Amino acid sequence: MDLTAIGAAIAAFTGLGAGLGIGIATAKATDAVARQPEADGKIMKLLLLGCALAEATAIYGFVVAIMIIIFK
Amino acid sequence: MLNVDWIQIGLTIFNLLFLYLLAKKFLFGRVDAILMQRREEVDSATKAADAAKQEAFETKKEYEEKIAHVDEEKEQILGDIKKQGYAEYERIVNDARKKGDQIIVEAKHNAEVENERAKEVYAAQLTDMVIDAASKIAATKHSAADDKELYDKFINEAGAKNE
Amino acid sequence: MDLKEILNELLMEDKTFLRIPVGSGTLEIYKSVVLTWVVMLVLFILMLILTRDFKVHNISKRQAAVESFVLWIRGVTGGMLGEEAMGYADYIATVLIFIAFSNMVGLFGVVPATMDLNVTIALSIMSIILVEAAGFKKKGLRNWLKGFAQPMAVIAPMNVLELLIRPLSLCMRLFGNILGATVIMELIKAVAPVIVPAMFSLYFDIFDGAIQAYVFVFLTSLYIKEAVE
Repeated sequence: MDLTAIGAAIAAFTGLGAGLGIGIATAKATDAVARQPEADGKIMKLLLLGCALAEATAIYGFVVAIMIIIFK
Repeated sequence: MLNVDWIQIGLTIFNLLFLYLLAKKFLFGRVDAILMQRREEVDSATKAADAAKQEAFETKKEYEEKIAHVDEEKEQILGDIKKQGYAEYERIVNDARKKGDQIIVEAKHNAEVENERAKEVYAAQLTDMVIDAASKIAATKHSAADDKELYDKFINEAGAKNE
Repeated sequence: MDLKEILNELLMEDKTFLRIPVGSGTLEIYKSVVLTWVVMLVLFILMLILTRDFKVHNISKRQAAVESFVLWIRGVTGGMLGEEAMGYADYIATVLIFIAFSNMVGLFGVVPATMDLNVTIALSIMSIILVEAAGFKKKGLRNWLKGFAQPMAVIAPMNVLELLIRPLSLCMRLFGNILGATVIMELIKAVAPVIVPAMFSLYFDIFDGAIQAYVFVFLTSLYIKEAVE
């Protein structure tokens, strides 16, 4: 049983949290834009910022997976 | 991939600080100099404009005061002239009155004198006539009725002469 | 397969560029540091060329563009920093331009400088020193120490730990994003070499690089704003 592969797969699971979080954030952002269309510039900026911050945890998982594969 | 080498970190920190100093001197420094110069120019131009406006305002106020004064002076001068005119008028009228009075007095005086003279002339004429009559009466020895007739004739002649 | 070799080559290569014998050992200078020097040189030459012959009135289009760019960057960083910390806007703008440039070097097929953990650690160490120094200068020694016990004394260990965690997250975020972008670009280039990399490179190299630079700088200025108020 090659545990490296299983370890890397589990590490890649962190993408789940990021996907959920960004999905919910985008849903709320579209709600806000629908409620007030003239504020869409600000809302888009905030959304991009939030997505970049939320993506960080997913990236941590990716880095750990790569390190597991490379360093066994 | 994961080797953390402190020397590299130190070098990179030094690089970053150096880059910051370069950017501050060349990019931000030059742009800031230009902006500062422009701001100073605008400031000095604004100050000069303000000063000029202040000056113009004060000059305008001065002139307005002068004009107000001019009106007053005009009134004053007119008043003076009017007063002078009235004084003149009064004086002339007084003079004329005085002269008139004087003339009347003189005329009265003259009239009296004339009267006196006329009376004297009349008296002289009368005396002449009386002498004439007396001589005529003396020349002719007439009766009383003839005298009365002569007298009447003589008075009628004198009266006609005197008329 | 090829991919494993490519990954190995990319990630496990010996990063030293120069070996300078100093005293008893050798001073090794990594490629990333040399790349940082190159980026600095390019930026410096660019600044020199763009800011030559500045006049006060009757300005050329280049000068107008440079001035508006400086004002725009100052507006962005000043807005993030708030009123009191405006003095740091210049440094933050420099870091922003540097990281954005470094990340986009991947367009030219060179391994970006920020893919080295050392560079990102250096950047985050400088950021955290700046944040604490800003708080220290504003509040004085006693208040700054007391700030660790805000809002309740129980949270003090967490606050001290945050001193470590914030730079760690900053550094790992930047490193991980750029590493992921470069690895995926290499894989795409290995699979479909001609047109496809150009389109993906538009997202991974340019967009992702710019966003990560902005996020790094935004978080740093957010911490500064929080520490100064």
